[in-house]
Amino acid sequence: MRMDQMYWNPKNETMPKKDLAALQLHKLKRMTAWAYERSPFHRERWAAAHFHPDQLTELKDIARIPFMTREDWMASIQESPMYGTLPTAPEELAIRYHLTSGTSGRTPIRVLDGPKDWKWISEMWAIGFWGFGVRPADTVYFAFGYGSFIGFWGAHYACEKIGAMVIPGGAQTTEARVRQIVEMGATVVCSTPTYALRLQQQASLMGIDLAKEGKVQRIILSGEPGGSIPALKRQIEHAWGAKAGDTAGMTELGTIMIFECDHQPGGTHIIEDNFYEEVIDPVSEQPVKYGELGERVVTSFGRGFIPTIRYRTQDMVVRLPHTTCTCGRTGDIYEGGIRGRWDDMKTVRGTNVYPRAVEAIVREYEVIDEFQIYLWRQESQRDEITIKVELKPGHEADWPALEPRLATDLSNAHEGLRFILERMPEGSLPRFELKARRMVDARPKADYEN
Amino acid sequence: MANTDMYGKPTTGLEREVLAVYEALKSIVARDDLPPCVASNAREALACLWQAANDLDLAFEQLYDLGV
Repeated sequence: MRMDQMYWNPKNETMPKKDLAALQLHKLKRMTAWAYERSPFHRERWAAAHFHPDQLTELKDIARIPFMTREDWMASIQESPMYGTLPTAPEELAIRYHLTSGTSGRTPIRVLDGPKDWKWISEMWAIGFWGFGVRPADTVYFAFGYGSFIGFWGAHYACEKIGAMVIPGGAQTTEARVRQIVEMGATVVCSTPTYALRLQQQASLMGIDLAKEGKVQRIILSGEPGGSIPALKRQIEHAWGAKAGDTAGMTELGTIMIFECDHQPGGTHIIEDNFYEEVIDPVSEQPVKYGELGERVVTSFGRGFIPTIRYRTQDMVVRLPHTTCTCGRTGDIYEGGIRGRWDDMKTVRGTNVYPRAVEAIVREYEVIDEFQIYLWRQESQRDEITIKVELKPGHEADWPALEPRLATDLSNAHEGLRFILERMPEGSLPRFELKARRMVDARPKADYEN
Repeated sequence: MANTDMYGKPTTGLEREVLAVYEALKSIVARDDLPPCVASNAREALACLWQAANDLDLAFEQLYDLGV
C-alpha cells in the first residue's frame, strides 16, 4: 500500500464531473433494473407511478422515479413482517441484521446485508477515514457499544481494512474508556460529538489532561449533526488537542455518505461515485440551487439487498461545489455537514426551533457543560421554551453574566422568541453516548402534530 | 476481457488483472463441488474483489445468487 497517497481511491475521488455523471448513470440503470426485477416494493410503486428503468437515458430522468420514504418502508415491514417487500434476496442469504437507532421514537427499521454489502459498507468508511488522515500506523479507539444499532460497525472494519490497530471500546464505563484511550496510546478516537465531550469531562474529573497526556491526533465524529457545529468542534479540538472530522451516515444506507477531509473545508464531501444525492425543497419537492437549504434525497449504489432509491432523508443540507475545498476531490460538499432534520423542528408561538440551531448558540459558551431544550405550556395556554443549563465545575460565578447574554443570543436568532434559562445542579441532566436527545417536548400532545 | 471501464475509459494493465481475478473467483464460487473451507473463503475473497472491481469502475453487479 502506498502511504503517500492522499486519496483512498484516486481514480474516482478526483474523477472529472463528466466521467462521474457517466458512471452514476450506468450504476443508476443497473441498480434500478435490479430493484425492478427483484424487489416487489419498488416494482409495485414504480408501476403505479408509470416508471420503468428503461426510461432512464440521462441522469435528470431520475426525477421520473417516485420518492421513497421511511413511512413507505415502515408500512411494508408492518404488512409483511419481518423485513417487508424491499429485500431483493431471501433472508437466508443475508449474513447480518441491524436496525435503526429509533431516534425519532418510531419503530426501528430492520435491515439485512450480504457479504459484499459489508465490504462496501466498510469501504465507504475507509474512504472517509483515509481522507481525514488515518493510516496503518494508527491505533483507533471506538467508543461504541457494538449492539444492533449499526453505528460504527462499518468504521471498525474499515480500520482493519486500512491496516490500523483497532481497539473496540465496547460496553465499558466512560472512566474505563478514558483509561484505555490513554494507556493504549490511541491516536484516533471515534465517537459522537456529545460523547467526545463527555470523555473529556470524565478525564478532567480523573485529573487527566487528554491534550497533554493522551496521544490522540484525530477525533472522528458521527451520529449527530454536531460534528460540523463550529463552536462544538472547537471545544472538542481544544479539549483533546486533536483535529476533529465530521462524518454522517444512515442505517438505511448502512454506512456514511459524506466525510470531512483533512483540509477541513467547513463541510463534508459527498462520496458521489457511490451515491447520487439530490437536494430538494421539502414542500415543492423541486431541486434547490447550490447554496440553498434543502432536504437530502439519496440513491445508493451500494447495498443491493435493500436498494434505497430516491430516499427522502429529512436531513437539512446546503450543497456547494467541490471547488469550495482545495483537496482536489471532485465530490461536492455539504457546507456544515448535516444541519439537522426537517422533522426535528418544533414550533413555539409561531417560531420554528431546531435543536441544532439552539446547540450552535449554546456551544459558543464554553463554560456550559450540558443543556436541555424543554418545551412546556404555561397555564394550558402559552407555549414556553426553557433552556436548562449545567455549568462546568468552578464556573458557577459566571451564571449572572451568562444568563442574560445567552437568552439574548437565542432570542435574536429566533425572531425575538423569549427563552427562559434555568441553571441546573451539576450532574442532573442526562448524558448520552449515542444520538443525544436534548429536546424534551412536555406540551400536551393532542394539540400538536409535529 | 473488457478494454474499457464502465464509463468508456480504456482500462490499464492493473485493472485488467483485477478483473481477471474477479472473474476467476466468480467461476470458482459458482462450482457446487467445493468443500466448505474453500467455498466460504472463496466467497469472502470474491466479496473483496467485487469491491475492488467496483472501486475501479470495472464491474457493477449483484452476487447474492452466488451467496456473496
